[in-house]
Amino acid sequence: MDTELITTLVSLLAGGLLLYLAITITRDNFENRLNRVTGSMLFFAGLAPLFLALGSIVQQPEAGVTTLPDSPLYQLHTIWELFFPTLLLFAMLFPVDRLREFKQSRLRTLVFVPQIMHLIIMLFFGNINRMLAMVELDPSREGFTTIVLKPFSYLFTGVLLLIGFIRSYEQVIFDVVNLLYVGIAVYFLETGSRYLREPRLLNQTRTVLWGTRLALGLYSAAVVMVHLFSKEIAPQYIAATQLGSVVAGVAIFGYAIIRHQFLDVQLVFRQSFIYTIAMAILVGGYVVMGMQAKEMLTPLFGARAELVSYVFLIFVLLLFQPISSWLDNLIRSMFIRTRTDYRAIIERFSRQVISVFDPHQLRQTIEETLKTALLVENVYFVLYDDSVGEYTLLPDELSSHRVIIDRDDLMLRGINLLDAPTHYSLLNEYEESSKLAELLKERKVKLILTMKDAQHLLGFLAVTQKAAGYRYSAEDFNLLGVLSNQMVTALTNARLYVESLERLRLQEEVNMARQIQLDLLPSSPPDLPCSVICASSIPSRTVGGDFYDFVPTRDGKRMGIVIADASGKGMPAALMMAQIQAMIRSEVSNGTPIPTMMSNMNQQVTHSTSAEKYVTLFYGELDKETGTFEFANAGHNYPVLVRENGQIELLEAGGPIIGAFSFVSYTSASVQLRPKDLLFFFTDGLSEAMDAQGTEYGEERIRKFVSERRNEAPNAIMQMILDDVRTHDPSQPPQDDTTIIALKMHDHPGVLR
Amino acid sequence: MKLSDRVQDGVVVLEPKGKIMGGPDASLLHDKLYDYIKQNKKKVVVDLAQVDWMNSTGLGILISGYTTLRNNDGMLKLANVTDKIQSLLTITKLISVFDAYDSVDDAISAFK
Repeated sequence: MDTELITTLVSLLAGGLLLYLAITITRDNFENRLNRVTGSMLFFAGLAPLFLALGSIVQQPEAGVTTLPDSPLYQLHTIWELFFPTLLLFAMLFPVDRLREFKQSRLRTLVFVPQIMHLIIMLFFGNINRMLAMVELDPSREGFTTIVLKPFSYLFTGVLLLIGFIRSYEQVIFDVVNLLYVGIAVYFLETGSRYLREPRLLNQTRTVLWGTRLALGLYSAAVVMVHLFSKEIAPQYIAATQLGSVVAGVAIFGYAIIRHQFLDVQLVFRQSFIYTIAMAILVGGYVVMGMQAKEMLTPLFGARAELVSYVFLIFVLLLFQPISSWLDNLIRSMFIRTRTDYRAIIERFSRQVISVFDPHQLRQTIEETLKTALLVENVYFVLYDDSVGEYTLLPDELSSHRVIIDRDDLMLRGINLLDAPTHYSLLNEYEESSKLAELLKERKVKLILTMKDAQHLLGFLAVTQKAAGYRYSAEDFNLLGVLSNQMVTALTNARLYVESLERLRLQEEVNMARQIQLDLLPSSPPDLPCSVICASSIPSRTVGGDFYDFVPTRDGKRMGIVIADASGKGMPAALMMAQIQAMIRSEVSNGTPIPTMMSNMNQQVTHSTSAEKYVTLFYGELDKETGTFEFANAGHNYPVLVRENGQIELLEAGGPIIGAFSFVSYTSASVQLRPKDLLFFFTDGLSEAMDAQGTEYGEERIRKFVSERRNEAPNAIMQMILDDVRTHDPSQPPQDDTTIIALKMHDHPGVLR
Repeated sequence: MKLSDRVQDGVVVLEPKGKIMGGPDASLLHDKLYDYIKQNKKKVVVDLAQVDWMNSTGLGILISGYTTLRNNDGMLKLANVTDKIQSLLTITKLISVFDAYDSVDDAISAFK
């Protein structure tokens, strides 16, 4: 087939595609300057192959007819050179917007001057000699007019001569200018790409850069070959090189748009673009096959060959639909990856976040999704922080610490009212004296994306502009809305997970405290000659601070009995009991008198804990031989002394609770225990056990109960009252620690006086 | 616990209501006391008429309030102590530490 025909067809196709790309890119997002500049650039680039094709179509030499290239109108084709200044502007906008800082924005139009000059010269100064003759003055007619006009005449002549000079070397001069533009543009593209960090933008830039290098390299080679060095090269090679550059340019921009979502061109457009290409290739293929068929069939069928070729074409067209579908699918599977599909983004995101419980990792996933799927430049997190009970801006590149947002901040209140992703600029009415607004402005935030569950604002994302300044489309807003719902679920999951970990940690602490308490309690009551002692301590679900101990005095004559209850629960109470035990043991072994011992303990506890932490404590020493019981009660439930006859005495003497006030003092008192006397000690877990109606078991009932059963063995009494209390308050385990010590004097403790 | 407050004859009257049980109750009373201490109002009467119940932590809150005021040269007195709280104060022998009065007016006049 004719090479020129192929060149013409390919030129038409490439030019058409470039114009198509230019129109769609501009139409897709006309607001964006980068889209407009890229559109213009591709438009002017498209004019080149179109003019090339037009030239070869009309240029068919026919004798005596003026060919198109000779007509002044054809000089319009130099308009395509406007491609070079638009390329320069493109390189100044992409991938880094250098024009944003450029104050004198009107000055950038100066880049168009050389090419416009070229166009004007080609259009209007075709015949310089005729124009020169027009401004030439007749030297024979000297007069006033001639004298005045003379300098102007010289000036015009000079200008025209200069233009004439340019005209005769126009190709070389303007090719050099154009190549200079190309060089600067490539330099800008190269240096701009070094500032990029975002992976997708980097891929886009690399692709566009390679395409630009290839296209401009081929173009420069063609220009250099023709205009600067030699004119002997066959025109078809030059045409092929020029065409190659145009085709490379189209292909690479198309590839960048489809594969790397260049210019954020929408999915619908990318699909139609691919479809158009597929159809163009297919239809072109059929046309060529039809023409070839006609050529091949002519020798066989002669005049009827045309008819046969139509039949052949109809046959081929029957295959059109299946082949076109196959081609469409093939291209789609090659280029349209799931990552650009919004549904796929949502699916992938929900799959990822459902398995992420670590809040930090979750934030990373969210940030990564927004950056790769929506080309968001930066994301800032403002989340409710349970540990401080406030909203905080998490650390970012501007602040290494989280910033707590005042709950009355006006902007925070404004954001709390939002239900959907919103442009930050719409919130300016809330900016007044808002610290949050200052922080967001400092971070150049463009969008606010709230995350709300049924009642609360969990936090929000402050999103900056898209990479390279692309705008947010309605589709982006929909996607962000759906993603924010997913984030709410994920954040709630993460929070529950953290809470469950915290619960586990607390449970461990409680277990440890309980173990400390169990270890403090004596393993068995002491064996005394005068009496039987038994003790029981039933911890409640949480660890309280009940404690009892038996401490023999230094001389071995007496046995110290202690029962105590620390305020509060958990580890602090357990540790306080450990402290009390250590103090008592040390004071008893020093032989300190009981009131002094109580005072010392009170001083120590008061100074080592806060005022609301205190202990109620009863301490008494039983003389094993005489049965004298000296005691001090520091605010503890009164132990009950039941005499043989059922008479009850309460052991009240002592002083206030230990650990509350440093200025209090303590006294001690003594009672003489006699055979069959029963001493019953308990903590408030027993007296305050409550039934379903909220009635306490009560001290009165305890006294009556033990008095009535005074003849029973101490462990039997203990068991009976525990059973009775459980009947009153069946909660299991008990609501509070319940501790009991029962001491019964022997019937005939011979040694007692 | 709910807490209301007023000033009567230059004396701060705090009126807790419900159960005094620790947790957030502690900081509620504590913050209120500090507010008044900052305003140099250091004579405080806690009216316990509407307090149904108080556990050991609740008692700790009262003790803490008392200590806070004492450390700032102030004084805390109790009024309308119910039987239940009376018995708690008796057992713990804090009745000897806290000045308790039958009515708010009595407590206020005790400051003069």
